[in-house]
Amino acid sequence: MSSALIEKIFSLIIILFLAPFFAGLVNKFKAILTGRVGAPILQPYFELMRLLKKETINATTSSFISRISPLINFAAMLIAASMLPVGNFKSIISFDGDIILFAYILGFARFFQILAAMDIGSSFEGMGAAREATFALFAEPIFFFSIGSISFLSGMTSLYDIYHSIQLTNISYEVFIIICSISVFMLAVTECSRMPVDDPNTHLELTMIHEVMILDNSGFDLMLYQYSSFIKLFIYAMLEVGFFYPFALQNYWLGIIIFVVGLLALSLSLAIVETITSRYKMKNIPQYLLFATAIGILNLLIYTFTNRI
Amino acid sequence: MKFLYNFIKLDGLSIYFDFVIQLAAIPTAIYNFSYLNHYIDDKKSIKGFLAFFIIMIVATRLIVLSNHAIFFIVVWETMSLTSYLAMLLEKEKEEVQKGSFYYLIASHALIFILYIMFFLLHQKTGSWYFDRFNIGFADTYTASIILILGMIGFGIKSGFIPFHFWLPQAHPIAPTVLSAFLSGVIIKAGIYGILRIYLFVKPVPEIFGWILLVISMISAIFGVWYALAQHDIKRLLAYHSVENIGIIGIGIAIGFIGSANNLPAVEFLGFGGALLHTLNHAIFKSLLFIGSGVIYQNLGTRNIEAMGGIVHRAKLLSIFFLIGSVAISGVPPFNGFISEFIIYSGFFRTANELKNFYPILMLLFVVGLAFVGGLAVACFTKVNSIMFLGSERQPIKNFHLNLSDKISLSFFALFCILIGFFPAPFVGVVNKVLSLNFTRGNYSSALININWFDFSLIFISISVLILLLYFAKIKFENKYGHRKAEAWGCGYNRLNSRMQYTASSFADELNSIPKTILVYHKEVEVSETAYPVESKFESHSKDFADNKIVQPAINFIKKLIPYIDFTSQTDIRYYIGFIIIIITIYSLLTFI
Repeated sequence: MSSALIEKIFSLIIILFLAPFFAGLVNKFKAILTGRVGAPILQPYFELMRLLKKETINATTSSFISRISPLINFAAMLIAASMLPVGNFKSIISFDGDIILFAYILGFARFFQILAAMDIGSSFEGMGAAREATFALFAEPIFFFSIGSISFLSGMTSLYDIYHSIQLTNISYEVFIIICSISVFMLAVTECSRMPVDDPNTHLELTMIHEVMILDNSGFDLMLYQYSSFIKLFIYAMLEVGFFYPFALQNYWLGIIIFVVGLLALSLSLAIVETITSRYKMKNIPQYLLFATAIGILNLLIYTFTNRI
Repeated sequence: MKFLYNFIKLDGLSIYFDFVIQLAAIPTAIYNFSYLNHYIDDKKSIKGFLAFFIIMIVATRLIVLSNHAIFFIVVWETMSLTSYLAMLLEKEKEEVQKGSFYYLIASHALIFILYIMFFLLHQKTGSWYFDRFNIGFADTYTASIILILGMIGFGIKSGFIPFHFWLPQAHPIAPTVLSAFLSGVIIKAGIYGILRIYLFVKPVPEIFGWILLVISMISAIFGVWYALAQHDIKRLLAYHSVENIGIIGIGIAIGFIGSANNLPAVEFLGFGGALLHTLNHAIFKSLLFIGSGVIYQNLGTRNIEAMGGIVHRAKLLSIFFLIGSVAISGVPPFNGFISEFIIYSGFFRTANELKNFYPILMLLFVVGLAFVGGLAVACFTKVNSIMFLGSERQPIKNFHLNLSDKISLSFFALFCILIGFFPAPFVGVVNKVLSLNFTRGNYSSALININWFDFSLIFISISVLILLLYFAKIKFENKYGHRKAEAWGCGYNRLNSRMQYTASSFADELNSIPKTILVYHKEVEVSETAYPVESKFESHSKDFADNKIVQPAINFIKKLIPYIDFTSQTDIRYYIGFIIIIITIYSLLTFI
């Protein structure tokens, strides 16, 4: 077997098996910070196993959409995750322009997630679906103003190349990259339905976005939804950790170490953010998202103008 | 015969558009079988409609094949008039009279502009033949005027904002067969016109690219935003045509920028995206219109708030409609994504080739296009979920899908899937058209060098993955059980269909953002008494261009009419007097 193939298989295994672990890690850190013992780190795996052995129940009003949506969600998340580089390994899928496909594959998953929520025919899910559609719309520009602006400045259009084009040579570019990473962090919080946008832990329907959309699912369906939300969290973690790759520079093992350390640091910071902030009011969330977008735009403008003069 | 032969010329662009027309026309005509049955049952004469429909298709094909300016205008008028006459199938309804009149007026306004444009071209070249119209931009002044007139004239037909006002008026009232053809094909005649004019005057200065880019981006964003606020399914789809014309316009604009800077790669990506999106839009828009027509036949309403739960009656229809919706939202793995991807690549390529301030500007447009995609997702999840999913808001007696419905719908759905999963051959055709017509020796392989094979591979692997998961799901469900139960109602166990989320509440948060532009307003009547009686809620959106520009202009002209009223007298002697005066003026003019 060629080494490229081994790398790809290794990446796939990491994505599939480390994703729930990462979610468990965040929860553990959060528990420690709030002074609890908390569930074991492996709790997400237990949850998935438990759900796998449960009966699947669909609402009486639901149709085939509810049945295929979890599958589509999971498949789309897995494909999206495989476009991101793990350490210094070449991404499983990598070609020119995959940044667009990445954004749109996530859109594909969202499309069916919203449909599946509306499929139940209950207002709770409808509310979540409407919010998801609205907030996702405002989240889209954040992605393009952060990762997209690096892409446009470097001329690379593949996520792997974009991350590996980052070079820490001059100070203004470094600042630019750091602020981009902050934008991506704010995006990750939104997309993965964490605090302060959404709360992953409660099921109080009126206040939630993601959790309420999967309220009427159970068994295998819920397992896939949970798993894909773990992978989604991991995707955004990988987007964030990617900013540290320039330190590794073609060294395999250093790349892996940075990947692991980056994930640890990120899970800690997510836990800290969740501990010290409370969830925003729904009507303030667009402001939060527009703020993140504005950071992206300003960052790009400042960088270009400082480099021009 | 040689004389007639000169009127028609088949070059790459003509054949491509002819293909698009024919591809949409055949299944639409098949759908006629089931759609018109409805009218035959009502003892209504459909002979006129069928005759006009056929003449319209022929005229539309002749437009893209014609090589002679006068012939072009004649067939263009034939197309406009026959489609107007076919639109009058239900002429006793007042909304039909109003909407079709909008269409007629818009068609006539634009034909004036086209006259002036062709006269200018004739004056410049001394010929009426298209293949001798290649004037280039040597005479900047005339060429600019020709290009601007062409862009306005054909822009009215295509429905770029702010010339889109006739689209949402004419589409909903037309017979569905016709609105499918109008939206899928006839507005593309405008796109064909713009591309043809471009071929006359190319290479164009860059400023035209930017103007078109901004107009198209506005059309795309507000087209879909207006669509989000609609409750009438055909009106909603009409606004989506504005959006898609905007996306096609963006592609053309990138092509303009590429041609101005002599970058064949950008030119290929821009025009290639536009051409492929033209084909794609013809496919999925016809699919969606025919789907809405089938629903109209069965339910007798176009209001989506009155629908719901159709999926339990007609699963096949909802699958077809879903395919069309995914495709039109530009979401992979269907065809809409492919053409949008080419346009995105065009943005990236422009930024790469031109450096300087281009990356930032292009990034802004990329974000704009992504925003359009997000809005389209919101809009089509709304349409699908309100129309098809949940439980029936109004009881459906029976829902029937004819064979001809199935044939035409499945034909379009097949093409949506085919172009999405295997884009390479279709992109190859577009590439061929471009290399034949658009570039003079400047060939670029940018379009076919995109890794189309990777797309096929990824989309197939997603499908396989979904299939495998499905088998796993079946296996686990057999082992641990699967059943249906009431949805959780927060302890309340009498959920009914009126408690479902409605289309207006789904879209409310998004529609409230550009309130003034959408002319979006809500009427809420809540009972204030201790024992609640009936409450009421309504939300409406009116067209900004129609309400704030077109209508005031018409009213203004109406006010002016009394001042020239003295010319309209009942006595014939006045008219003879006017004629004598005019003849005298003309005779005197010859002396000057």
